[in-house]
Amino acid sequence: MDTNKVILGIYNDPDHIYDTTKKLIHDGYRVRDVYSPFAIHGMDRVLGIKRSRLTVAAFCFAMTGIVLALTLQTYASYFDWQMNVGGKPSLHIPTYIPITFELAILCTAFGMVGCFFAVNKMVWGKNADIIDIRVTDDLFVVAIDIIPNKTDVAELSSILKNNGAIEIREREFED
Amino acid sequence: MSHDTHIEIKEEKYTITDGNKKWSYGLMIVGLLLTILGYFTYHPSVEGMNLTADDLHHLVSKRFWGNLLVDSYFTFIIATCAIIFVVISQLANAAWYVAIRRIPEAMSTYMIIGAGLLLTIILVNFYVLHGGIYHWAHPGVMETDPLLAKKTWYLSQPFYLVRLVLFTAFWIFCAAQIRKNSRNEDLVGGVENFDKNFRISTVFLVVFGFTFSMFAWDLMMSVDAHWYSTIFTIYNFATGWVSALTVTYLLVWYLRGKGYLGIVTDEHQHDLGKFMFAFSVFWTYMWTAQFLLIWYANIPEEVVYYKERMFGSYQFNFYLNIVLNFVVPFFIFMMRDAKRNRKVGYFVGGAILIGHWNDCLLMVMPGAMDLPTAISEHNPTGSIEIPNQGIGFMEIGMLLFFAGLFLTVVLKGLTKANLYPTRHPFIYESAMHDVGV
Repeated sequence: MDTNKVILGIYNDPDHIYDTTKKLIHDGYRVRDVYSPFAIHGMDRVLGIKRSRLTVAAFCFAMTGIVLALTLQTYASYFDWQMNVGGKPSLHIPTYIPITFELAILCTAFGMVGCFFAVNKMVWGKNADIIDIRVTDDLFVVAIDIIPNKTDVAELSSILKNNGAIEIREREFED
Repeated sequence: MSHDTHIEIKEEKYTITDGNKKWSYGLMIVGLLLTILGYFTYHPSVEGMNLTADDLHHLVSKRFWGNLLVDSYFTFIIATCAIIFVVISQLANAAWYVAIRRIPEAMSTYMIIGAGLLLTIILVNFYVLHGGIYHWAHPGVMETDPLLAKKTWYLSQPFYLVRLVLFTAFWIFCAAQIRKNSRNEDLVGGVENFDKNFRISTVFLVVFGFTFSMFAWDLMMSVDAHWYSTIFTIYNFATGWVSALTVTYLLVWYLRGKGYLGIVTDEHQHDLGKFMFAFSVFWTYMWTAQFLLIWYANIPEEVVYYKERMFGSYQFNFYLNIVLNFVVPFFIFMMRDAKRNRKVGYFVGGAILIGHWNDCLLMVMPGAMDLPTAISEHNPTGSIEIPNQGIGFMEIGMLLFFAGLFLTVVLKGLTKANLYPTRHPFIYESAMHDVGV
């Protein structure tokens, strides 16, 4: 990022913000992100968002859980201390299924929550940096990077205005 | 891509091609020939076990009727669960399925043939073969068998037939009403037919939930009348449901490949694929739950059911079941791209269908054949393998025959209405369906 200044176009209609975003990207502006209280269908494709890698992470966490569960059970019930329960074989694999299944899910859930916190840089005690408090209610915000000596702020503002923005303002990100 | 794609709703009609006819009739003829071949080449024999000519005749007859029951039941529950898919989606006010709705509707036209076949099988077994594959229906068994004594009121032949006829007739009636209203909607539009279908679906689903339990007990579980499992119904439903979704998925791919179903996209295909994935896991859950409790508790009356299946003649089918119904769909369909790829879709869909057919086979055949696997002086461990069981010519032949029959009926059903509802209230929403990146 060569800039931390953005211009915010605030909208009250998801269709307007969709069309505006499409036009801005077509015109070559760099749209940082769009903020919305709910998912706008097709917006992910317009913004060119890549597919999340969370699923791959989830698979790895699940495998970790499975390996852990199988290792523990095999060690405890076969290698360390064999027990005769109802005449079953010591390596009683069918009974491993529920525990393996549960531990796979537990590891996946915890791992994915951890991933979510890490990716979003969320730490205990950190305050949320909400782009505009009203996006948590009923408004939609598009944030466009202002690149020094390149972005024509006046022209950008007029595009936003003409496409139905109810408010336009600038703001700076801290990072 | 909701905002800028132009959606064109057209009236599409399917026409049966010569290739379709060649394939479906070809499958039926080949299937019939293989079945006959299997019928005359089946000679079970075990050293030390003296099977008389009469025994052999009974075994061949049981194998034939058992197979017929497996395939009739399997195709019938596919057709029934197809209409249940429409019913559930209707009640959930789902929109995405509307574009593909006519395919499960067409599949449900097979129900009447399937029910007729099932009824014929039961009637022949009860009254011509004096019980046949149903051990409990043999004369004198219910009166003398202490384990069956408490089931006498339920497992009586007239009551059984009344249940079978009433249940299937009601399901067929509801399915026909749903199809009729759906076709009517294409002519008149509005929401009147939608509301009618909603009301029918409500009643149908509630009644289906209870009646399907008894239907599965009657046809499948009573083959092993001594044995019972309380999870059996939902396990059977999972089998039918995932197979119905798979057939729908495959037919949608096929029709799209032929240039039909203009408004259906990979997004719909993806969602059907997710359903197949999810319900394959669901089936595995049910299967494991049934198996694990019986394996763990180790009560002889219950364990004998799995003993027949895990060891001896049906061992291969038992493990094939887990591979085709769990391992293949789980690890392949877990990937997003697999669900959106035609070739992978055909492969996994085929595996699931064969797997669930094998599952039905495994539910019926060991009990129906009633092979002498029990511990006896000839068979001290109870696990001597009797050759030529499992999947043979007769099984494959019957499967091909029923595949051909099912295809003939379903493709004919597809020609009777537009390939997607043109004036359904949700049709535009369905055409815009998008599962995102």
